[in-house]
Amino acid sequence: MADQREERTGEALIRLPRSFRLPEVSPALSRLQKLAGESQVVLDFGEVEEFDSAAVAFLRYLRKNVPQAAIVNVGGKLAMAEKAFGGESASVSRGAGAEQGRIPRFFAGLGGRSSGIVDRVGHFLLMLSDEIYHLGRYVFRERRGVYPGETWNQLYFMGYRSYPITIILIFLVGVTIAVTSSDQLRLFGADVYLADLIGLSMLRELVPLMTGIILAGKVGAAVAAELATMSVLEEVDALQTMGVSPARFLMVPRLLGITMAVPLLVVIADVVGISGGVITASVKFGIPPSAFIDEMMNVVGWEDFFWGLVKTVVFGWAVVVGSGYKGLTVGRSAAEVGRATTESVVLSVSLIVLIDCIFAFILY
Amino acid sequence: MVPDEMDSEIVRASNLNCGYGGEVVIKGLNFSVPAGRITTVAGLSGSGKTTLLKTLTGLIPPIEGEVYFSGQKIDYRSETSLNRLYQRIGVLYQNGALLNSLNLYQNVALPVRMLHPQIPKKILREMVFNRLSQVGLMDSSTKMPSELSGGMRKRGALARALILDPDVVFCDEPSSGLDPITSGSLDELLVEMRDTFRMTLVVVTHEVRSIERISDQVLLLHGGRLFFAGEMAAISASDDRFLRAFFLRKENEDDS
Repeated sequence: MADQREERTGEALIRLPRSFRLPEVSPALSRLQKLAGESQVVLDFGEVEEFDSAAVAFLRYLRKNVPQAAIVNVGGKLAMAEKAFGGESASVSRGAGAEQGRIPRFFAGLGGRSSGIVDRVGHFLLMLSDEIYHLGRYVFRERRGVYPGETWNQLYFMGYRSYPITIILIFLVGVTIAVTSSDQLRLFGADVYLADLIGLSMLRELVPLMTGIILAGKVGAAVAAELATMSVLEEVDALQTMGVSPARFLMVPRLLGITMAVPLLVVIADVVGISGGVITASVKFGIPPSAFIDEMMNVVGWEDFFWGLVKTVVFGWAVVVGSGYKGLTVGRSAAEVGRATTESVVLSVSLIVLIDCIFAFILY
Repeated sequence: MVPDEMDSEIVRASNLNCGYGGEVVIKGLNFSVPAGRITTVAGLSGSGKTTLLKTLTGLIPPIEGEVYFSGQKIDYRSETSLNRLYQRIGVLYQNGALLNSLNLYQNVALPVRMLHPQIPKKILREMVFNRLSQVGLMDSSTKMPSELSGGMRKRGALARALILDPDVVFCDEPSSGLDPITSGSLDELLVEMRDTFRMTLVVVTHEVRSIERISDQVLLLHGGRLFFAGEMAAISASDDRFLRAFFLRKENEDDS
């Protein structure tokens, strides 16, 4: 749209364009703010023919809050709309304002029942590709369509709120592994290798797997229940018909949240799990902690920590994507919320084990 | 504003078959929705009213046939075409469908914040409060949806549906779950929208009293097809058995 506003010396003049709608409002306002020093600013509405309620809101805002604004030539229709509290609305045609995306939609079929396993897998993959697309767009600074601050809420819930349970469970796993394996090692007089066993198994396998399963139970179930409830209450449909992509609005903050939460969880879990082994070894079998650590550092390297971390992040994604899929594909009855939640945990755990197996072949 | 658009049709269905997953619920629909009028979609429970609404609002693709919006054919496989549609309609869902994690103000502001994030906060505030005052909820802007009554939730959802000046507002059973007085005042609000802003409304309902109060045009679905399309006056004059049974009997047997 051509910028038809101009300025004259002496007195500041802002001439509003013929088509004065939402996209034109914010340039007009910033223009006005630049002229804040002037004693009087004249706003000429004479050319305005097409407008929407954002324009009416702009006008009402000026009248209420900008006393130095002289508002001239407000046309009959605009004046009427201003009086009518809300604004003229008939035949407002918003052109190609906020078009998003080219990927074929998948939500269209959500109301229907997918028949076979092939359909469902296809559906799942379509949804996954859509989520990756939206996540990519978000990361590359297209922030529209994601509620501000929602990512932090998700990080708080998925990360901070998962700490206590993760710490307790991983510690117990460390203790258990130490107790059960030391008998076998002792048979060969190889007590001290307990440290290698604990270090490697914790970093590479047990922490990722346990964290993934805890996330499946805690985060996955919550995501599925929340999204399923939203689907049943038509909130997801409402987002869609508002022109807000549910894949974007609902899934992007959750995916970002889990991506940030998992590394924090893994670092703590690694430390706690190994501590469980160290404490057990020293209390029950008399291996001093320093000897334990020295022995462990001989075999454990940064790459073990790194790959464990990568694996856990992928597990986290699997949990969120799997639960999101279950949550968003429910039917219309409240009973399906419970079913979706249960199935989401089964699906998440299955995905975790499957991915773990694939990683095992790739890494070792 | 284009003057000749005011009295013309804004939505048109041509040989439309709707349903889910290949299963046809209603077929052979031909009708148009005139601009600036209230069209009610009536019918018994299970007659396909909601299916039709979902098709018209772009949530499910038609099995056969076409839907035109402002003369343009909706391409249900193109996200661009659907987004263009979504930007020009507002939908009032049966229970409001306000997002439970946001308060009323945030809910009403949501479409603007998501689609036009560049809009200054002060203008947004003005837009939201204009709409809230229009539906009489100025004082409840900070309440969460769970703290609102059913009628208030629907009015709040109407404010959200109106915030971006839609060309057409679709309402799914606006009177369901409301007492007669509250549902009457919601009807009055809809009529006021039409009269004051020449808004086009498509209202799905089975409440006979509500249909009589607000309709300019009635589309009655029955037996998997469009049974009747016309004005209320034509219904009273008709001697068709089903029409008379639907509209003239006491309205307590078709409750869903």
